[in-house]
Parts: sequence; structure tokens; C-alpha cells
Amino acid sequence: MKREERMDAEMRFHLESLIREYVRQGMTLEAAAQRARSEFGPVELAKDECRDESAFQWAEHLWRDLRLASRSLRKSLGFAAAAVLTLALGIGANTAIFSAVYAVLLKPLPYVHPEQLYTVDISISKLPELGRLTGRIQDYIAWRKSATLFSGVAGMSPGYFNLTGSGEPERVGGALVTSDFFTVLGVPPAHGRTFVPDEDKPGQSNVIVISDGLWRRRFAADPDIVGKTVVVDGRSQRIIGVTPPSFLVPTGKISYLPFAERIDLWKPRAPTDAELQNENWNEGLLLRLKAGVAAEAGRQQLEAILNSKAPPNAPPGLRFVPRLIPIRDVYASRVRLRLVLLLGASGLLLLIACTNTASLFLARIASRATEFATRMALGAGRARVMVHMLAESFLLALAGCGLGLLLAAAGIRVLMASAPTDVGLLRQAGLNLPVLLFAIAASLSTGLASGFFPAWRACRKDAALVLQEGARAALGGLRATRARQVLVGLEMALGTALLASAALLLHSFVKVMNADRGYVVDNVLTVDLALSGESYAKPQQQLAFYRELTDRLRALPGVSAAGGITLIPATGVADFQVVLLDGNTEQDILRKNLPIAGYWEVTPGYFAASGTTLLAGRYFQQQDAVTTAVISESLAKRLWPAESLTHIIGHQFRQGDPVHSPLVTIVGIVADIRPGAIDRDLRPQIYRPFLPPRVDTDMSVLVRTAQAPAVLTGAIRQEIRKLDPNVPIPAIRTMREIVSAAVAERRFQMQLTALFALLALLLGAIGIYGVVSYAVACRTRDIGLRMALGASEQDILGSVLANGLRPVLFGLAAGLCAAIGAAHVLRSLLYGIAPGDPVALAGVAGLLLVTAALACYLPARRASRLEPAAALRHE
Amino acid sequence: MSRHTEPNRDAELLQGTLDMLILKICALEPIHGYGIVQRLQQISKEALHIRQGSLYPALYRLENKGWLKAEWNKTEGGREAKYYRLTPAGRKQLEEEKAGWSRLCEAIALVLNAAE
Repeated sequence: MKREERMDAEMRFHLESLIREYVRQGMTLEAAAQRARSEFGPVELAKDECRDESAFQWAEHLWRDLRLASRSLRKSLGFAAAAVLTLALGIGANTAIFSAVYAVLLKPLPYVHPEQLYTVDISISKLPELGRLTGRIQDYIAWRKSATLFSGVAGMSPGYFNLTGSGEPERVGGALVTSDFFTVLGVPPAHGRTFVPDEDKPGQSNVIVISDGLWRRRFAADPDIVGKTVVVDGRSQRIIGVTPPSFLVPTGKISYLPFAERIDLWKPRAPTDAELQNENWNEGLLLRLKAGVAAEAGRQQLEAILNSKAPPNAPPGLRFVPRLIPIRDVYASRVRLRLVLLLGASGLLLLIACTNTASLFLARIASRATEFATRMALGAGRARVMVHMLAESFLLALAGCGLGLLLAAAGIRVLMASAPTDVGLLRQAGLNLPVLLFAIAASLSTGLASGFFPAWRACRKDAALVLQEGARAALGGLRATRARQVLVGLEMALGTALLASAALLLHSFVKVMNADRGYVVDNVLTVDLALSGESYAKPQQQLAFYRELTDRLRALPGVSAAGGITLIPATGVADFQVVLLDGNTEQDILRKNLPIAGYWEVTPGYFAASGTTLLAGRYFQQQDAVTTAVISESLAKRLWPAESLTHIIGHQFRQGDPVHSPLVTIVGIVADIRPGAIDRDLRPQIYRPFLPPRVDTDMSVLVRTAQAPAVLTGAIRQEIRKLDPNVPIPAIRTMREIVSAAVAERRFQMQLTALFALLALLLGAIGIYGVVSYAVACRTRDIGLRMALGASEQDILGSVLANGLRPVLFGLAAGLCAAIGAAHVLRSLLYGIAPGDPVALAGVAGLLLVTAALACYLPARRASRLEPAAALRHE
Repeated sequence: MSRHTEPNRDAELLQGTLDMLILKICALEPIHGYGIVQRLQQISKEALHIRQGSLYPALYRLENKGWLKAEWNKTEGGREAKYYRLTPAGRKQLEEEKAGWSRLCEAIALVLNAAE
């Protein structure tokens, strides 16, 4: 301590010079020393003031304060542990959620200039019922030619491929892409090359690019993979490249395009001339805007090109209206609101933790009031005393941050496990640098915020008053108690809002799970099959396979029904077509707002296997012609609103084309079915027989079982193998699993919000318990006095309970009001309940009251059992 | 609360003026803290009194602001003492403070005379 020594030497020199002077004037040494000391004033005070003036001294002070703080915290481990644990819970929850928010919403996407990349959807002005469509391959061709504001256009559509040859036949998810797909994204391959321009012409397209995952899984990371051939859908294809592990492509359902949850294979899209004749809205389009071009300008150019050639017979005013969607939204839009709300929920939890810690601090500071008053009376400035107190909260915040990060690391792992699988970006959540910075900033600000208020209050107290009245006055001080009650009220209000949100989501979830979807969810097994190769080139061969298979499956013991459908309705609708009545013309499509229906092809056994509710007529039978149909109730009512359902049987309609498509006769009407996630849009539905020419290589086969379905998976697998060992068999799933996966986002949010709400409840209970116990401790003498004067145990119990519960009730009322407000934000995530759902809100109020009463009861009972004589002696 | 409760003193220094006086005294020659107090009392004919310990925070403050520079030197009696001398920045500050003080005195004089 060199500077300290010098300061000491300087002042000693001064004092000695003074003494020498007085001695010279004739004083005794003793008198001179006394006089000098009185002239100089307190040396320590002068030194203290000098230290305050010194540069860099603040750092030294801080260090000293931190050491002091850590010593005093070690002496009160209970307080420290409670505060650290509380902060860590808040920090951990927030960090885990922030890591997800960062990964999905903030982290730059792994493309060259991702901000220039857009996808597009198109609506048609006179056909609002169509909703928003993806593009057509024709749009890709037109835009590539004339969209000058864009530096690149690429098309992609979902594809599923059978990989055979070496090893177990496997069905992999993939995409058909135009040759410029990889160049538009700006992602070079990890091995080999990507497609060159001519490779999206028919005949040239026998090349594929595979994913890093498939390369490692199926080809054992073979370094010489490039140039090798594999059999894809029965044809030999050459592997020309492998994508990097970080390659990110759209997965899951994008608009109406059902991409697989994992994309492992890219094949060039090579439309034949025949395909180019038809307009199919099944091409996902990616565009890269030129640098510096405004998105709106680009959009207008696309709109101009789209409308440059009016469709034949279109009425005036029909327009295609494109919308440019930033590429981030493809990955994030479905979960953005959920994530932001989760961040809000975890933020509330952090506020509650902060309030709880502040309340703990208030108690701690009240018990040390005399110490602080003494320091201030001795001349320490308020700022110095506050810094000293804040040092403690700083240390607690650091410890809370450390423990919080551990919790967050565990939390992220749980998050990954329960996250919806088709939100690919979520899988990249982790403790990276921005997340760490967030955690540190969050802990320091909450730690200091929770310490600041109590410290400021403590310093405001009149030091003299505290010293006169002694510790007891400070401890039981009316104002301190009031402050803690306000904190409890605040905590309750925040907790109520959080719990109410969780309850609303939970109730919605229960409603969604129990909602009638129009088909049976239990005891149904499903398997998605796809046929490939020469032996299935003809529709008759495809039909024969599925007929034979469903017949065999139906014959298995324990199976009550088996049938096939082109796409499991729980996962969605693959295709839509306009529905026309006999006499409707091409012009009517646009002028009369005709219904648009989703459709599937099914085998006769499907309805029985899926348990679809029959309302009128009958299910399909083996002898039904391809020109028969089963329609859903909503379509029947839409087409013939005045007629009864039984009367509608036998009526006819057309699908898609007023001239070329045949008239179809209705044989049955079934209940409308709802997709697994239930809240997605619902359209009228048409089922047609799976018969030539309406057959396909791909089919989902459903098996209805008498008992628990799991035992049958082996037998089903065996039957498929027996029929054709080359057909890949993906996982056999129960319908419940499919529905469960469809509501994954909802469940994810509900579970996390519920978790936060329960933590909030726990923290709230601890907070109330602390405040009431503390109040009892401070009032022990008063209680003793009252008991001595004849108050009964019940009186004491009642008064302590009443005092403890008063702020709870205020908080509860405020929180319920806030919750109803919050519910309006949540509205789009609710299902089947109103934002002011009485069941959820009453449940929350009840749960909170019981918890709070319990938290108050324990200290109240302790108070009522006090021995009056002992209590009176209590100091 | 008052930090220097020294009764029976003729004048308490106006806040801020102590700094100016210290600068003035250091402007004459390098001087140690004890010397500054002696000089202050001597020049003001014993009218100005300060709690001598409170001189040091002021010295530290002025040194931190770069207006004074300190050096350890031997006194005439051969003892080690810390000597303060004015820096160019300190000289400028002193001029400003003197000018400000004159303006203040004039202003006060104006008010007092007007009131009479």
C-alpha cells in the first residue's frame, strides 16, 4: 500500500510540524500534541476524504466492498442461498428461452446475404377461398427471364425418394429443385459440385446431391462418394455432391407444400413438355433481390409479370397478387409469436425473482439498519453506503448468473427434446456468445435492481432516529413492512398473470386434444408406403399391390379394418380442386365463387379403418366405379344448402375442369375431418376411389386394431416384406403419435408457460412465507402482550393470516385484470375458450389463494403457539 | 451534517474558495501542506481558519484535476515533505477563478450599495 504510506507520511509531517511549532511557543509536548490534533481534526476522516478524491480509488473501494460483501454473505448463508437460487431460476429460464429466440429469430441465416433472399406466395383477387398459393413452374420460367430486379430465381418442390440397392431399402425426404437452387442460396457443397444449368432438362437429370446427414448415415462418410451411383426410385443416379452439415433448407409444411421433416436428397427438377402444359400451384419459389433494390419494387415487378398475360376467360379485374416473404419467415413465422410470448413469460418470472430478492434484501437491510446508521453518522456518504450494499447484490447476481447458466444448459437440452421437430432452427439453440452476454446482462441488471431499491430506502432513513430508537424500531418499522407488502402484492400480480396465461393455454390444449376430429385417434396404426421401379410402372400394378396388402392386413388376427389413403388427413390435405355442378362453365369458376375442396383417393377399407363418421349414404364398396365420391358434410351443405343429407345422395358434381372431368356421383356423406393440429384452416372434403386413373405409387395404409396397436407393428412389417422386400418401410406410427406431433408447437408453449408459472407460484409462496415470518419475528413482543391480555390462539392466527393475505388479495385482483388483458394477446393461440375463460381464471385464483394461505399459515401458527411470558422477554 | 464543527472561528471559508486560495499560494513557490496552512493564516492575518486536515482532500482533488503537481523533497530541516506546485493548467484555472471572484464581489457590492 504505497500510496497509503505516503498519505500517512504527509499528514504525520503536518502534525509533527504543528507540534514542533507549539512546543517552540512554550507548550508542553503533551499539550502541544493535543492542540495539534484538535487543529488538524480527525486524521482518519481526512484520510478517508483523500481516498474519496483519489483517482482509481473507486476500483479499490469496490474491491474492498466486494471482499466485505463476500465475507458478510458467507456469514448469512441462508439468505445468500435463497437469493442465488431465486435469481438463478429466473436467469436460467430466461437464458434458455433467449437461446431459442436467438437461434430462430436473430442469428444470421447460413446463406450469402440472407437479407436479399425471399420466398413468395400468391393470392388471386377473385378467389379469396384459395388462400395463399405457392408458385407454378411457369412463374419460375417467366421470372427467370424477365424479373430484372432479382439476381436469381430458384424453384423447389417436396419429393420423397426410395433408396434401394446397398443395404435396407429406405425412404428419404428430399426436394426437386431447379439447377440454380444452390447458387441462389449461395451455399457451396462440402464435397463435389452442385447442379449445372443443363441438368434440369429431361434426360439430363440423373444426378443427385445428398445431405451431410445421409452421407454419414447411409454411406459411412465415404470420402470417395462423389461419382458413385445409387438407385433412387428404381433408377440409377449419380451422386455429384454433398452439402455442408450446416446447410439449412425449408422443412415441414411450407404453405401447402408438404416437405419432409428432414431433407436428405436433392434432384434436379426437369419438367416435361406435358407438365408445362398444366398449371400446378406446387412450386416453392426462392428469389434473390439485387443489392439495394427495395422489396416493394421487386414485388411490383413480379406482379406486373404475373398479370402480363391474363388467363383465358378471366373476368376483368382478376389479378394475381404476389407477396415477398423474407426467407427468415419460412423458418420462423409459425413460432415467432409463441417464442416472443415465451420470452415475455420468462421475463415475468425474472421480474418475480427480482421482487423476491428485493424483499429478501429489505429484510436483511432492516436487520442491519443500526450498522448502516452508525456508518452514516460517522460521516460515510450515502453513495458510499449504497455502493457497499450493492456490492452484495453484485456478488449474488454473479453467483446467480453462474448457477443460472448451468440451469439454462440443462433447460436447453429439455427444450430441444420437447421442441416441435419441424422448426429446424430451434435445433441450433445453444449457449453461444450472444446468449452468454444476454445472461450476464440479465443477471447484473436484475441483481443490482433488486439490491438498489432496498439500499436506497435504507440510506434515506434518518440515521439519528434509527440510532435513538434502536434496532427494534428499524426492524418492525411500519414503512419497511409496507414496502415488503407492496413487493408481495406485485409478485402476486405478476404470478397471477403468468399462471392465468398458463391456465388458458392448458385449457386450450385439453380442448384441442379432446376435440372431435372426425376420425378415431386410438388403436389406429399408420404406415406411409411408396412403390418404385419397373414392376410398379403401370397403375394396375400399383393398385394390385395396395389391394393385396390391405386384404392381407385385414386378415391379421386382432385387426378389424385396413385401408389406404393418399395422405393421412391428420397431417393435412395434399391437393385442392374447385367443385362444379353440372352446367357450371369455366367463367363461373371466377365469377360465382365456387367451393374449393381438398381431396384424397381411398381404398374401400379406409373409412372403417380410420373411423370416419358416416352421416348419410354409405362408405365405398369394392365394386364402386372411379366416378363415385364420398363428400364431407360442409361440402354437401355448401352445394345444396336447402336439401337434407339423405336427399343429396345420388347428386352429381365435377372436380376441377368443367369440360374434361367426368360427372361424379355422391354415394355417401361423412363428417368433416380436422387436421391433427386442428386450428389450421378447414375446407370441404372429397374422397374418391383409389382406382385407375386416380392411383398413385404413394399411399398411407391405416390398420384399425381391437386392442393396443403396438403389438401388431411386427406383423404388419412382415406382411409388407412378404409382398415386396424392396419396399422401404418407414416407422409405423399410431394415429395418436401423428396427432401428438401435429400439436407439438402448442404443447411446447403450454408446457413451458406452465413450468414458468409453477416456478412463479413457488417463488411467490417463498416470498409470502418470508414476509409473514419476518413480520411475526418483529412483532413477537406485541403478540406476547396481546396474549397476556387475553387474546386467544385463534385471534392471533386470524390477525397474522389477515395481515399476510391482504397484499395477496390486492395482487390477485390486479393480476387477474392483467391476465384478461394478456389473454387478448394470446387470443390467436387459444382454442375453444374465451380469453376470460372462467374455468382457467377461477382455477388460478383458487390455486393461488390456497398456496398463499398455506405460506401464511405456517408462520401464523407459530405465532399463535408462542408462550406469552417468553414472547414478552423477546428483544 | 456538518463535518468541521469548529466553534469560535472568525470566518468559515466559502465553499470553493479554499481551492482558489490553495492555487494562489502554490503559485508563489512549491510548498508543502503545512506551509500552505501557515501561509494562509499569515497572509489573511489569522482571520481565515480551516480544519487543517480538510486541506488534504482539497490538495488531492486539485492534483487529480491536473492543476497541481506534487513532488517529495527535503525541507530546510532535512525532513521529507510533499511539495505542491502549480501546473500551467492550474495557472489558467487560477486566473479564471480570480476573474470569477472579482465579478462576484462587484456584483455583491452593487447589490449592497444599491440597498443602502
